[in-house]
Amino acid sequence: MNGIIDISTGKLLLAFTFIIIAQASSFIYHLGLNRDIAVGAVRTFAQLFLMGYVLTFILGSESLLLTVAVFAVMVVSAMFIVRGRVKEKQVSYILPTFLTMLVTYFATAMFVSGLIVGTTPWWEPRYFIPTGGMVIGNSMSAIAIALERLFRDLRQQREVVEMKLALGANYREASDDVFRNAVTAGMIPSINAMMGVGLVFIPGMMSGQILSGTDPLIAIRYQIVVMFMLVGSTAITSIIVMLIVRKRCFGSGEEVLLTPR
Amino acid sequence: MNQPLLEIRNLTFTYEGAPVPVFEELDLAVRSGEFVLIKGPSGSGKSTLLRLVCRLNRQQSGTIHFMGRDVATIPPAELRSSISYVAQIPQMVDARVGENLLLPFSFRANSKKPVPQPDTLYRMLDEFYLGGVTLEQSALKLSSGQKQRLAFMRSILQEPEMMLLDEPTSALDPESAAMVFSIMERLNREKKMTIVSVTHSDYRPESVKTLTFMLENRKLTLAP
Repeated sequence: MNGIIDISTGKLLLAFTFIIIAQASSFIYHLGLNRDIAVGAVRTFAQLFLMGYVLTFILGSESLLLTVAVFAVMVVSAMFIVRGRVKEKQVSYILPTFLTMLVTYFATAMFVSGLIVGTTPWWEPRYFIPTGGMVIGNSMSAIAIALERLFRDLRQQREVVEMKLALGANYREASDDVFRNAVTAGMIPSINAMMGVGLVFIPGMMSGQILSGTDPLIAIRYQIVVMFMLVGSTAITSIIVMLIVRKRCFGSGEEVLLTPR
Repeated sequence: MNQPLLEIRNLTFTYEGAPVPVFEELDLAVRSGEFVLIKGPSGSGKSTLLRLVCRLNRQQSGTIHFMGRDVATIPPAELRSSISYVAQIPQMVDARVGENLLLPFSFRANSKKPVPQPDTLYRMLDEFYLGGVTLEQSALKLSSGQKQRLAFMRSILQEPEMMLLDEPTSALDPESAAMVFSIMERLNREKKMTIVSVTHSDYRPESVKTLTFMLENRKLTLAP
């Protein structure tokens, strides 16, 4: 079977049956989730429709400027999400994190879209935007986890770090363990995903390709590229961000700037 | 010879958000081989003073010179490998006693210093009243008093020019405190180690000559 079966508006409304089941469960068992489920359902509906129209426009535009602009908006949104999760006030980490994300994600999407898939032009929106989206979505979580861990551990282990500084360590030597643990914590989800893929779950992109009629043997090739891309981009982005932000946690005398909350 | 090892001039420090400085226009000169005690009530800034000398706190005003050089111009790791600061609560890494003692030698600033051999470490453990402790046992399982003595020993192994001790006996029982005091005096007497120790106890060394200062009401004054 080739091509995809369209879902008519009537059938789309039929999918609301699942929301009604969730609402009924919340109502019967007093879960207090009715409002959240309703808002979530409406937002899903509205945001995805909006995205659909935006993507239709961008894919048809064939404009480099527009493609890069959409990419930049995605990175800015990711940065806001990271900032919302990390909530650190004493160390300014936002600008270096944003710039690192922008450059490494762009380079990754360019590499995958232009070199591995080999689209012409390299920024072909149909490949560049979804590739960028997957890199940003995945790596954003890793950076948030790693930053949270870096700040938390430096605060919790401040006395041990200061002990090492007092014994002649430079700031890198004194915070070596904290740095390593932060990067590892951010990377573990991507590595676990590589372990479970194809056995425990079928990734969204591959499912989407298969649903739209792509040969599964082609879909898996794309998925392999995506999995490797996610691990690589997460590693490089996390390490660069952690190197820059860790330096900012120390003053000119290599003293720890983070004080207990 | 007359140049002080440590010379502090016009040092003022204000904690973030505090309306007044914890101390102001503080002067202090410590010569090589001296044993200096700084006493004063809690919150008078004694610990902050020591932390400013080894740059664990950021200097706001005044000057601090060590061996004739402004500490702000000495690379921090180099400075701290010459001035050994021992915190009030001794910290150990989650490793064996031997690894904790040799920790400073894993840092680049100490890479040219000779690494002590196990027989030297065992001899020193005896001298620091840690005769029953082995290099293979876990450092985290030692008592507070043992950790404090081990922290001292680790600092001495670096062969610093000066030691800064922050309330070295505040968390210890009288017996352990007496051992620590005895070690401090012996280091000063036998190895001519320059020691600056802050304390709010009534400790008065008997076997060595000391200079005692009082830090209170934001001023440092020589005690009679």
